[in-house]
Amino acid sequence: MRKINKMVRKWMTDKMELPADVTMDLPRITMIGQLHIYIENHRGVLKFSNQELRLLLEQGQLLIKGNHFVIKTILPEELLLEGIIDQVIYINDGEPKKR
Amino acid sequence: MKNSWTNTFSGFTRIKVVGKYTELFLNRCIHEEISIWHIRRVGDEAIVCYVSLEDVKRIRPIVKETKVKVYFIERKGVPFLIRKMISRGGFVAGIVSFVALLFILSNMVWNISIEGASPKIEHELSQAVNELGIKRGKFHFLLPSVEDIQMKVTERIDEATWIGVTLNGTTFHFNVVEQTFPEKQEPVSPRHLISKKKAIIYDIFVEQGQAKVIPNDFVDKGETLISGFIGKEGKMEIAPAKGKVLGEIWYKSNVSIPLITEFSTLTGEKKTKHSLSIFDINFPIFGFGNPEFTEYETNEYRNRLNFLKWSLPIEYHRKVLLEKETLVREYSEEEAVDTAILMAREELMKKLDEDAVIKGEKVLHETNENGKVTLMIHYQVIEDIAKSQPIIQGD
Repeated sequence: MRKINKMVRKWMTDKMELPADVTMDLPRITMIGQLHIYIENHRGVLKFSNQELRLLLEQGQLLIKGNHFVIKTILPEELLLEGIIDQVIYINDGEPKKR
Repeated sequence: MKNSWTNTFSGFTRIKVVGKYTELFLNRCIHEEISIWHIRRVGDEAIVCYVSLEDVKRIRPIVKETKVKVYFIERKGVPFLIRKMISRGGFVAGIVSFVALLFILSNMVWNISIEGASPKIEHELSQAVNELGIKRGKFHFLLPSVEDIQMKVTERIDEATWIGVTLNGTTFHFNVVEQTFPEKQEPVSPRHLISKKKAIIYDIFVEQGQAKVIPNDFVDKGETLISGFIGKEGKMEIAPAKGKVLGEIWYKSNVSIPLITEFSTLTGEKKTKHSLSIFDINFPIFGFGNPEFTEYETNEYRNRLNFLKWSLPIEYHRKVLLEKETLVREYSEEEAVDTAILMAREELMKKLDEDAVIKGEKVLHETNENGKVTLMIHYQVIEDIAKSQPIIQGD
C-alpha cells in the first residue's frame, strides 16, 4: 500500500512537473557558499556539536560536517546553520524510519 | 524567523542548557514552537542559545521532561534596560536633568557685547538695554524680538546712526555705528553769494565782500547779493564773500480738512494668549477663550527655542489682542478753519529752514463744500536766501 502510494507520487511529480520537495516531503537544501546552509522539511535534530549536525529526515538522515557551527534559526520544519561547511552527507540506513 | 529588533523590544535571555539530552531539548522546543536561536555548543553536554522573554516560562516543563539544567547567562532588551534604569534612578535622573539644564541654559542670555561705541555711548546703550529687560539670565522667549530691540535701542540713542542687534547663540551683539558730524569748514575758496529764490530783501549784513543790494530791493533767483570782488577799480581783489541776507518770500498753500473724521484708537484693554507650537501645530498653554471685546487688533510675537546651537522646531507664541475703539471726530466750521490754519503752518515750517520766521499769514479764500473746508492761505516768510557761488578764475 505504502509502496503504491509512493509510486503514484513519483509518477505525478514526473508527469506534472511539480517540485519534488512539495509532493514527496523531500528536504530542500539551500547553500550559500560554505557559510550558510538552509534546510527545509527536516524532522528534528539528532545530534548537534561544533563540527557536526545530524538531522532526521522523512527518509534517512542528513549529516553536515564542518567547523564553528551555530544554529541561527530553528523552526519546526526549517533550520538555518552558520559556520564553515565541509560536507553534506545523506545517510540511508536501509528501511526508512517509522514515525 | 523573528526579526532581531522586535526581540530587542520584548526582551530576550541567553541561556545555557546542560544535560545529556540537549538535542532532545531542542526538538521539544521547536515542537512547542518556542522560538530559540543562535544555538552553539560550548561543551560535551552544554549548549548556549537565546530565548525570548515571553517563552522563558514555557521551557520549564520541557526542562523537567528532558532532565537538563538551565542557567541564565545574560538578559538583553528593553524590559531589562528599564529595570536597570529604575534600579539606577539617580544616574538616569542625572542624565535627564543634565539635558534639561542644558536646554534651559541655552535659552538664556549669557552675554551682552557692544562693539564700535565710545565709552559714553556704550554706557548709555548698556543702560537702555538693561531697561528693556535684557540682562544676564533672562530667557530669550520672554524678550522682545531682535527687530524690536533694534528699533527701540536705535530710537533711544540719538548719537548713534544705526545699531545692529544680533542674537548669536546666547550672546546679544550690539554693533554701533556712531554719528560723525562733519566739521564746519570755513570757506576758503573765493565766492559770491547769490539769491536762491525770488524775494524782497529784508535785511543784509555783510562780513566780507561787497553788498550789491539794499533792503526792499527785489531780487530774482540767481542774482548776486554780495560780491566777492573787493577793492577799488583797477586794484580789484578776490575774496570769499561772507554774510547774511534775509529776504521776504511769499508762500501760498492750500489745505482742506474734512468736517467729520473717523479713526480708531486702542483703549488699553488687552488679552494675552500664550501657546507653544511644535512643527507648526499650536498648543495653547495659557489664556483661553475669546476676549470680551469685539473689535481688536492682534499683535503676535514668536520666539524659537534653542538647544545648544541648533534651533528646535518648537516656538513660543505670544498673541496680544488689543481692544480697538472707533471714534468719530466732528468739527464745526470754525474749528475746522482753526485746525486747517495750524496744519498748514506746521506743514510750511517743515519745508523751511530752521531759522526762518513766519512774519504774517492771511486767509485768502475759504470754501465749505462736500463736508470739507478748503482754505487758501498766504504767508510772508523771512528767511536766509544767500547761496554760495564760487568764482572761477580765468587765466
